[in-house]
Amino acid sequence: MTPEEMQAAIEALQGLSSTNMEIFYYWCTGIMILIHAGFLMYEMGASRVKHSLASGTKNILAFAFMIPTFYMFGWLIYLGFWQGFTYDPVWGEFGLPMSAIMGPNMADQATGVFWGAFTLFACTTASIMSGAVIERIRMASFVVLAVILGSVVWNLAASWGWHPAGWLVTEWGYHDAVASGVVHTISGFFALGVLINLGPRIGKFNADGSANVIRGHSLPMTITGLMLIVVGFFGFIGACVLYNYGVNGGWVNIYGGPTTLSAYSFNTLMSVAGGMIGCYACTRDPFWMMSGALCGIISAAAGLDLWYPPLAFAIGFAGGYIGPWAAKQIEKMGIDDAVGAVAVHGVCGVWGLLAVGIFLGGYPGFSSWDGFDIPSINMTGQLVGAAVMIATGFIPGYVLSWLFNKAGILRAGDGVQRDGMDHELEGVAYPEEIRSH
Amino acid sequence: MINSSPITSWEGAEAIFTFADSPMGMAVCFWVMTAMLIVPLIVSYNAEEKAEIEHQ
Repeated sequence: MTPEEMQAAIEALQGLSSTNMEIFYYWCTGIMILIHAGFLMYEMGASRVKHSLASGTKNILAFAFMIPTFYMFGWLIYLGFWQGFTYDPVWGEFGLPMSAIMGPNMADQATGVFWGAFTLFACTTASIMSGAVIERIRMASFVVLAVILGSVVWNLAASWGWHPAGWLVTEWGYHDAVASGVVHTISGFFALGVLINLGPRIGKFNADGSANVIRGHSLPMTITGLMLIVVGFFGFIGACVLYNYGVNGGWVNIYGGPTTLSAYSFNTLMSVAGGMIGCYACTRDPFWMMSGALCGIISAAAGLDLWYPPLAFAIGFAGGYIGPWAAKQIEKMGIDDAVGAVAVHGVCGVWGLLAVGIFLGGYPGFSSWDGFDIPSINMTGQLVGAAVMIATGFIPGYVLSWLFNKAGILRAGDGVQRDGMDHELEGVAYPEEIRSH
Repeated sequence: MINSSPITSWEGAEAIFTFADSPMGMAVCFWVMTAMLIVPLIVSYNAEEKAEIEHQ
């Protein structure tokens, strides 16, 4: 084989590899939609009958509004704000909605595929908040909050901590391979900010401050929905790895550091199992057992590329204890989080970031971008990252919902809550005879 | 009929989406989409207000 033939063969292989990468990523996006099918079932099942359609509609609208708004400004924010609040027009230009690559382009096979996956990450953030606020938030205000969370806030944090050149990564060595912080902590604490202003559902708390259990109308639907979310997570996790032929010799994590698909397979399953068993052991509650799957994977997600699988199990198991415990503490503070989203996503997300600092210190940084040196993984970087994620999620959620509350457009009135949020919609969820509670 | 094609031949074609060569055409589509996001929210606010009054 002549050198020219060898070069041609290499280029052909690289082209094939790139195509395979796009196919892989495209279908990860498709699988991720199962997360939203799951959230839909989960939230409708967790709602009482008279609110169930409104809960489902809210979830679907968040999904639908996220897609065009992520096209309008979400992708631009992720690409352009990796330095902090300073916009980089060179990279940001690739995300402008009037860029030549933000539509069908014969010279660019990849942008739409990556944009699609990140759009689905954005939809996930909105769905996380969605469950916490069911049965009393007004629909239009919820959609606006969801758009701010999904198309502005989380992707700003992702640009800082989930990007090869992001300042949290290059200055602090922040490591968050599968988004414990940039998706889950952000969304959980954004939801907390909203919940403080939104207030509890009618009947949740007694005059003495004690809490009542408000049961959803279909626990089987909720549990099945949670299992669908776990299925969808395989798409989510798949979309956190890339195949970068010729650079690192194969798969790379979101920072361009070397990894393998095997790492994600081992540790996803182990941490899901750990979370389920941990939650079951401490609550014996089927709802929490399945929420435990989320506690487990969210707890292990930040280091999913590096854990020894039994350690991933243990970290997930610990998350299975931390989630229900945190939910109780939040309830004791008089905050009504209907599905435990703050605990499962926010608190377990923080635990995941800290677990990386505790157990993965010393792993060398790997920069796929010339001119950037990424520090080794270290506890300080994880603590700084966790603080940034909490603040970046909580502050906008709190401030915006405070403004909406002052304007009287955040919370449905007592009459609508009493009669059912479904009264704002056309259609009914169930026949008359089972619609009474 | 609107001639929205940015290309006259597939030879060497890159951006092939409608109005790719027309910033005005893209801007019109963009702002129409923006309106299509805002109007349903206003409709929703109005429906919620009506429900609030009906269920007081």
